[in-house]
Amino acid sequence: MTLTHDHLTEYGGLPVVEWFSAKDEEKNGPPTAGGVAWRISADAYESDETWAGAFARFAAAVDLTQVEALIVGAWPDMYESGPDEVVETLLGAREHLTSLRSLFVADVVFEQCEISWIVQGDLTPLLAAFPGLERFGLRGGNSLVFPPVRHEKLRELVVQSGGIPAEAVRGIAASDFPALTTLDLWLGTSDYGGDCDVADLAPFLAGTRLPALRHLALHNSEIQDEVAAAVAAAPVVARLETLDLSMGVLTDEGAAALLGGQPLTHLTSLDLHHNYIGAEVAERLREALEPAGVALDLDRDDAEEDNGDGTVWRYVAVGE
Amino acid sequence: MASAGAYGGREPALAVVGNPENRRVRLFTEAAVAAGFAAPRVVPWLDVLRAGGAEFGPHEVVRLDSPGEHPEVDRLLRGTDDPTRVEGGARWYARFTAAVGSLRGGVRLDDPAELAVLFDKRACHQVLARAGVPVPQSPTSGGAAPLRGWADLRALMREHRMPRAFVKPAHGSSASGVIALETASGGRLRATTSVETAGGRLFNSLRVRRITDEGEAAALVDALAPDGLHLERWLPKASLGGRTADLRVLVVAGRATHVVVRTSRWPMTNLHLGGARGDLAAAMAAAGPAWPEALRICEQAAACFPGTLAVGVDLLPATGWRHFAVAEVNAFGDLLPRLTGLPGSPAEGLDTYQAQLAALAGHIATAAPYPPSREHRAAR
Repeated sequence: MTLTHDHLTEYGGLPVVEWFSAKDEEKNGPPTAGGVAWRISADAYESDETWAGAFARFAAAVDLTQVEALIVGAWPDMYESGPDEVVETLLGAREHLTSLRSLFVADVVFEQCEISWIVQGDLTPLLAAFPGLERFGLRGGNSLVFPPVRHEKLRELVVQSGGIPAEAVRGIAASDFPALTTLDLWLGTSDYGGDCDVADLAPFLAGTRLPALRHLALHNSEIQDEVAAAVAAAPVVARLETLDLSMGVLTDEGAAALLGGQPLTHLTSLDLHHNYIGAEVAERLREALEPAGVALDLDRDDAEEDNGDGTVWRYVAVGE
Repeated sequence: MASAGAYGGREPALAVVGNPENRRVRLFTEAAVAAGFAAPRVVPWLDVLRAGGAEFGPHEVVRLDSPGEHPEVDRLLRGTDDPTRVEGGARWYARFTAAVGSLRGGVRLDDPAELAVLFDKRACHQVLARAGVPVPQSPTSGGAAPLRGWADLRALMREHRMPRAFVKPAHGSSASGVIALETASGGRLRATTSVETAGGRLFNSLRVRRITDEGEAAALVDALAPDGLHLERWLPKASLGGRTADLRVLVVAGRATHVVVRTSRWPMTNLHLGGARGDLAAAMAAAGPAWPEALRICEQAAACFPGTLAVGVDLLPATGWRHFAVAEVNAFGDLLPRLTGLPGSPAEGLDTYQAQLAALAGHIATAAPYPPSREHRAAR
């Protein structure tokens, strides 16, 4: 099982730059403004500074009206408490953050705080406060809530997690995102709170609330086979350009459902990396899709079966 | 490179105390011969241990290499010939330092007192901290606080507000017995380790596992504690290519000469636990203007051990690659086959053994005198 993933290096088409910690600020001098995605962090463990404190230093040095992309890194004790302080701070700065188009919350790697220990909360007030936002993402599914919202401008929504609570999945599914082109959900496993079932995904697959959707990723799921089977018959697929069912427990069963379902040859890419598909079925997928020009990723990556006590254990790519 | 002629006209005779079959000894011998030295005399650790010592001539330049990877030597030092067993660290330490003390005469490339510090993580931490070398905070530095088991460990973590920590056997190496421990409220706990227990005994496995059951973690720590434990704050390490990264920096005669980036999916980056050599250029780019500081810290750490020709410093880059801390200093940290020295360093183009051979003359000129051999004393 993979524990780690990188920090974002690019967000909203802008290179990510780490805002200086308090002790580095003097050394580095005043920052150059604009053209970058700023990541603002405290320390997850034993922080000397609050997240609001780090943001206040940022706000004092940078013209907030020019900031297009913000990335929230770690906040203090994020393995114990949610990002309430982050939400309040950003809400307090809404009148200045007039150019904000991209926002990501909890861009941390496992050395800072493991994904399953990140405590999230309700971030939807941020969507309401920033109607100009086009890109929104978050990491961590613990305590994540997502009451249904409507957002006119949002184009990309990403939830990276070892387990998104079913209630949050249903909230996202009941939201209206008329401009959304990209939806990316790491569904996770029930061990880490990812307890949705395939019926909860039905609104995404119907696509009625997501009329602009072109890129769909429903992945990192322990029920990836069922997800694949549902996708195989989903109305939304006909208008997708890319489909991503990677990182989950996808076996011959799910792959066969894809082969037996509606044509996928219109896709530019189908990402199935980290899978448990056998060589024979993999070959059938290649034969069906590659001649049509679909970029097919069948890399098994570190998907390894464990055989213990007569039971075969298979894992999603990101859990803990 | 220094030639054999650089020693005041007298040919230095090299000697290595090591395990003769080991590649460390072979690689050093090959490098010495290629550099124009006579083939080193190899003195097996096994002979040293069985004879209770070894004698060296006044002009013999003596290098010590690791006593590891030899079942019989292991049995004599640790009391077990199973290389995967974790226990026996305290016994190993006592016997190894005694064996080092039983070597007489010669010109030494190490210092017995420094070796005694290098193989005790608590003592090493204290020496580094007192010298102003950045190190992760530790309540057990210099043996300050006793760590007799799980109860002590939890008390220390609470008292020092240290919810994440590394617990390391005081005399361990290569991640042997190391536990990365995370705790949170409500009794949540996660221990990451390569130690397996079987039949009440502890083994190092090649597989890292997670423990979330407090009773299981407690039993593990209680079993490790009698050999001595060192506790350090877990600094969030930087990442590279989606993996956790740290650096092994060899410092020869005061200069950082060789650097290996080690990356892993796990908190431990050791190669046998699935770690891999990372991309040095990428690490240097990530550190940017902080890179010279990283090397300077390693040299500062090595300067705490002036009697030791070469040490391998394990350097932790903090998340963001702007700050660094020294995790460990290794006496036998030079097994980095085929790696050549940093451009611009005295070891550019040289492997770790060639670099040490090139630095011999300078080291010998400043080396403190050693207990003379018995023969020598008798003649006086």
